Amino acid sequence: MTANKAPTAARRRGTGLGERAMGRIFLTPSFTFMALIAFFPVFYAIGMSFYRIKGFDQEFVGLGNYLTALSDGGFYNAALNTLIFTVASVSLEFVIGLAFALIMHQAFVGRGLTRAIILVPWVVPTAVAAQVWRYMFDHNPGFVNAVLGTEINWLRDPAWSMVGMISADVWKTAPFVALLLLAGLQTIPRDYYEAARVDGCTALQRFWYITLPLLRPAIVVALLFRTVDALRMFDFAYVFAGYSNSLATLSVYAQRYLVAEPELGYANALSTVTFVIVMLVGLAFISRMGRQLVGDAAPRKERA
Amino acid sequence: MSEQTVRAPRPAAPAPRRPRKGTPPWVVAALKVLGLAVVVLWCLFPFLWMGMTSLRTGADALTEPNILRGPFSLDSYEQVVDLGFQFALRNSLIVATVTTLICIPVASLAGYALARLPLAGKFVILALTLVATLFPPVALVNPLYQVYLELDGLIGLSLLNSYAGMILPYVALTLPLATFILTTFFSGIPKEIEESAKVDGATPFQAFWRVVAPLAAPGVGAAAILTFVYATNEFLLAFSFAPADLNVQTVPVFIGTFERVGYEDPIGQVMAASVLVSIPLILFALILQRRIVAGLTSGAVKG
Repeated sequence: MTANKAPTAARRRGTGLGERAMGRIFLTPSFTFMALIAFFPVFYAIGMSFYRIKGFDQEFVGLGNYLTALSDGGFYNAALNTLIFTVASVSLEFVIGLAFALIMHQAFVGRGLTRAIILVPWVVPTAVAAQVWRYMFDHNPGFVNAVLGTEINWLRDPAWSMVGMISADVWKTAPFVALLLLAGLQTIPRDYYEAARVDGCTALQRFWYITLPLLRPAIVVALLFRTVDALRMFDFAYVFAGYSNSLATLSVYAQRYLVAEPELGYANALSTVTFVIVMLVGLAFISRMGRQLVGDAAPRKERA
Repeated sequence: MSEQTVRAPRPAAPAPRRPRKGTPPWVVAALKVLGLAVVVLWCLFPFLWMGMTSLRTGADALTEPNILRGPFSLDSYEQVVDLGFQFALRNSLIVATVTTLICIPVASLAGYALARLPLAGKFVILALTLVATLFPPVALVNPLYQVYLELDGLIGLSLLNSYAGMILPYVALTLPLATFILTTFFSGIPKEIEESAKVDGATPFQAFWRVVAPLAAPGVGAAAILTFVYATNEFLLAFSFAPADLNVQTVPVFIGTFERVGYEDPIGQVMAASVLVSIPLILFALILQRRIVAGLTSGAVKG
C-alpha cells in the first residue's frame, strides 16, 4: 500500500504515532462503544430469551419462548401489521417521492426554497407528527372527515386506522425520499436527454430508458432506508393506538412485554425475532448493492 | 467525488430546446409552478392545522372542523407551560447535545481511520458499519432495561430515568451512520494535501488534526446535525427508560404520551406543545439546509 513509507519516517524521527498504530487507536473508541452498548445487549437478549423471568425468578425454558410466539395470535397479528404497513407505506412513498423529485428537478425557480421546505416534515419528531395526524383523523373535531365529506371512525376501526397510520407515515417520509431521488437525478447528464430528444424519443421513453436506469442506485438506497425504517416502526403505531392489536407492529408488541405486561423472557424472544427479521431484510438489500454503496466511501485506490 | 471524470464536458451554452408542438411555454411554466406549490402545500399544511388548532379555545375547538373559526386565545400555551413542557424541551436539548458531542469525535476518528489509514479488512469493516445502521432500536430496549436494573441492584448505578441511560444507546445507534458519512467526506479530500503536509515534516497525527480535520468540517457538521436530529426524534428508548419523570422526560415522550386530564380532550395543549417544539426545529432545518442535504445524500449518490 501507499502508506508504508510514512510510519517508518515518523518512527525514525521519533516524533509521533505510526499510521498503523494510529488506525487501530482511532477505531478503538467506536468499536468499544458499539460492542458494549449494541452487540453485547443483543447477545444478552438472546441468552435471556431462553428463560422465563418473573420478578427475580428465572427458569430455563430452552426454546419455550419462541414456541410460545409461534402459537401466539398477537405475534402473527403484529407481524402482519408490520408487513402491511411496510409494503403500503414504502411503495406509496416511493411513487410520491419520485413524483416530487421530478417536479423539483424540472423547476427553474424556487428549487432551493422547496428543497429547504421539504426538510420540514423530516425534522419534526415522529411522535409529534403522529399526535397531529391522530387529532386530524379524530372524530372530534373531525377535520379529515370534513375535508373528505366522510363519516369514518378513523381511530377505532382497525382497517381505517391502518390507512390513517400509513397516510401519516407517507406524509412524513415521501419528502425524504424525494430529497434522495432529487440528488440522484442531478447526477444524470443533461446531454443524454438532449441526445434522446434528437433521436425522437418521447418524454415517457426518456423517463423509462434514461431516468429510471440511471436513478437505480439512488432508488435502491432510498428503498433500503425506508423499508428498514418501516419494519422497525414504533412511534406512529404506539401514538395512534397504544398497545391495541389493531396497529401493533413488531416493535410495539415486543416492547409491550417489557413494562406494560412484564414478561422479560418473552419480550427478549420477540425483540430477537424482530432484530433477525430487520437485519435479514436489510442484508438482502445490501448484499445486492453493498459494493456500490461501500465503494463510495472506500478509499479511491481500492475502488479502482 | 469522481463524478467529473464520468461526466461528459458540458457545452458552454445550453443547446436551444426545440419548442414542443401544441403546448405553449407559459402553460409548461404554469404547470411547473403548480407542481412546486403542491409539494410545498404537502409539506406545510399540517403545520397550519397544528398552529390554528393550538390557538382555538372553547367547545368549538373540539366540535367544529373549520380551523379558521374562533374564539382564539393563548390559553393552551399557558396550560402546557403549567404542565412543565419547558422542562421536556430542556431535557431534549441536553440529551441531543451530549449525544452529538460524544458521537461526532468518536465517529470522526473512526471515519478518518477507515478513509485514510492502513487497516486490515477495511472493506469488511465499512460493510459492517453500513449493516449496523440498520440496527432496530427495539433489540436494545429489553436487554438494556435488564442491564440497567441489574446495575442498579449490584452497584447502585441508576440509569433508568437518567440522561445517561438515553445518551448511551443514542450514541451507539448514531455512530454507524455518522462514521459512514464521515468516511465518505474524508475520502473526498485529496490525498495530496495530506502528503504535502507530511513532506513538510508533519507527523500522521498532525496531518490529521491540523490539515485534514479542518477540511472535513462540512462533513463533520452534516454528521453532527443528523445525530442531533436523531436524538431529538427518538421515542422508543426514551419512552421505555424515562417514561414519566419530568426531570429527564424528552419532548417526543411528553407529546406522544399526553394523557387527558379529566374529561377535557387535550387537543389544544398537544398542539401548543407541538408548535413550541416545531418552531425551533424547523428554523434549524431551514438554516442548516445545505449541510443536512449533504449529509442525507452522501452515499446515496454515486459519483
